[in-house]
Amino acid sequence: MSLGRLAIKRSLQGVGVIWGVITVVFALRFVTPGSVINAVAPLDASQETRQAIAAELGLDQPIYVQYVQYLADLVQGNMGYSYVKGLEVTQMVFQRVPATVELAVAATVVAIVLSIPLGVLSATRRNSPVDYGATLFSLGGISTPNFWLGVMLILLFAVQFDVFQTSGRGVTSVAVVTSLVGPEPFVATLLEWLSYITLPAIALGTYFVALITRLTRSGMLDELGKSYVRAARAKGAPESLVRYKHALRNTLIPVITVLGLQLGTLIGGAVITEAVFAWPGLGTLVIQSINLRDWPALQGSLIVIGTAFVIVNIVVDIIYGYLDPRVVYD
Amino acid sequence: MISPRVIRNLKKQFRSSLLPKVGLLLVIGVIIVAVFAPLVAPHNPTTQNLDRTELPPLGFTKTVNDTSAQMVDGEVETVTEVTTVNATLSYPLGTDGLGRDMLSRVIYGARTSLLVGVLGTTLAVLVGVPVGLIAGYSGETVDDVLMRLADVSLAFPSLVLAVALIGLWGRATVSIPDPFVAAGVASGMPPSTTLPITVVIVVGLVNWVWFARVARGEALSLRKQEYVKAARALGASDIRIIGRHVLPNAMTPIIVLGTVQIAAIILLESALSFLGFSGTTLSWGFDISQGQDYVSSGQWWIATMPGIAIMLSVIGINLVGDWLRDALDPDIEGEGGT
Repeated sequence: MSLGRLAIKRSLQGVGVIWGVITVVFALRFVTPGSVINAVAPLDASQETRQAIAAELGLDQPIYVQYVQYLADLVQGNMGYSYVKGLEVTQMVFQRVPATVELAVAATVVAIVLSIPLGVLSATRRNSPVDYGATLFSLGGISTPNFWLGVMLILLFAVQFDVFQTSGRGVTSVAVVTSLVGPEPFVATLLEWLSYITLPAIALGTYFVALITRLTRSGMLDELGKSYVRAARAKGAPESLVRYKHALRNTLIPVITVLGLQLGTLIGGAVITEAVFAWPGLGTLVIQSINLRDWPALQGSLIVIGTAFVIVNIVVDIIYGYLDPRVVYD
Repeated sequence: MISPRVIRNLKKQFRSSLLPKVGLLLVIGVIIVAVFAPLVAPHNPTTQNLDRTELPPLGFTKTVNDTSAQMVDGEVETVTEVTTVNATLSYPLGTDGLGRDMLSRVIYGARTSLLVGVLGTTLAVLVGVPVGLIAGYSGETVDDVLMRLADVSLAFPSLVLAVALIGLWGRATVSIPDPFVAAGVASGMPPSTTLPITVVIVVGLVNWVWFARVARGEALSLRKQEYVKAARALGASDIRIIGRHVLPNAMTPIIVLGTVQIAAIILLESALSFLGFSGTTLSWGFDISQGQDYVSSGQWWIATMPGIAIMLSVIGINLVGDWLRDALDPDIEGEGGT
């Protein structure tokens, strides 16, 4: 099977899973205690008014008609209407997506930049103080709840030293980029952006720093013990080439897969990190929608989160197939 | 399932490193504290004492600025009096904003965490393992359908799905009478433990899929084994083959995964109660959310202490998990963290 066919096969499977995600989210409508009508109708509405509202919203139709209608609406990019907020759900959700993506990407960058060198160092200097330090750190990192870490970071860097912001988003990363060419001063914009995103990115990223450090260390140790490494050394290849070109490259393949699989943890972590730092992303929207019993907004957020997860995993699979051609021939 | 070789490996791994010993010590410590909470806790964790609010933990002091206004010669004068509050031995970890003992709250929090962790994992095993065994053993269409279902379930992050389900189902709790209080050996302690039952069900339901995947993988490889074929040739029913031959051989990875999942569920429970999606207020996550409000005014210990408790118990369970994994060496994955 070629890489192209793998891509097509995985994409088709992905469409099936996304359809499943949508169906589950649609089904949530029927396990909801308060119906949509209660949220729309005035408290003293008569039975006739309520029926009229139900008819207007299509709630008097049989379930399969509602289901087909829901799918048809979604295909057209219509995720319904939030009666609580008086806004289109599509608009509400996609307004929040950039903030969450920004936070998740920042956390991933923090994780990759710190963890891979740390893991390599730990593996190449086995049983050194660096190795013990890295092992202890990764053990602590995967065992620390990120919301608590967030509170501790606020305590240390915002309350004690007053260097970072603890709430909200400030400027967007887009604003930082446009300030390069626009009239805004670049350095000031960048610093403002950093003052908001640094603490949440660390709080969210630490778990992944710990996890990837662990994986990189054990992967490197595995690879460095293999015969191709011995062969490369025997023919006189420089140690740096052996370590970074050969061993590290092979180590990174499983690391990428785990990163893809852990995307759920990343998004779940973003939800609670956003809650700690009042970051205006999808996570705060999910919690707010539940507290306000805003089911259409909750359904929309869940569909977007589920779909994003499926798509990223397909991309990870294809990258994996590219990096490790053996997978493609399975 | 537990062969002499396994026990030998466990012992060897245990002796070879310090980490399994630390892990086992932490886990046993948490279990003892959780089980015997009414006997270990110095105070009732829910008793408020407004004369003793926000006491610092041992080794720390706190300064309080008391500003009072006085009339001096017809003018209003404000007098600021700085007093130092010392820690007391009776409240070694300090008290919270309502004067409740932090140490006792941390001790009782262990009960909630451990109960939810163990019961939630049990539920996940009871749902996930049969589904996985059936999928792996049957293969083909049944396997395809069940595993696509698992994919859909995986597409929602645990925390997001849990929050959504609790939002829909409410925050039901069950009161479990405390045997020590009932027996009269722990007077003055809460007469019952509040178990957030919705949380247990939800964390079990969002984590079943990891067990299903592991059980399926094992069943898939085991059904091609000679002894399974032999059992089938002898006319054993599918249920008997799965129960007698496949399940016992799939136990090792399930046990290892179960250990790691208890840690993951403890983290998930703390996240849920931090967000206010639990039903009990005696929980580490809940206390951290309470403590967050005091962080900016310098009362750091209210949010700090429960977090240290979570970290130590999760480190302990993870170390035990690593030990089991190294000794039994199954190849598994799982979603962790919050």
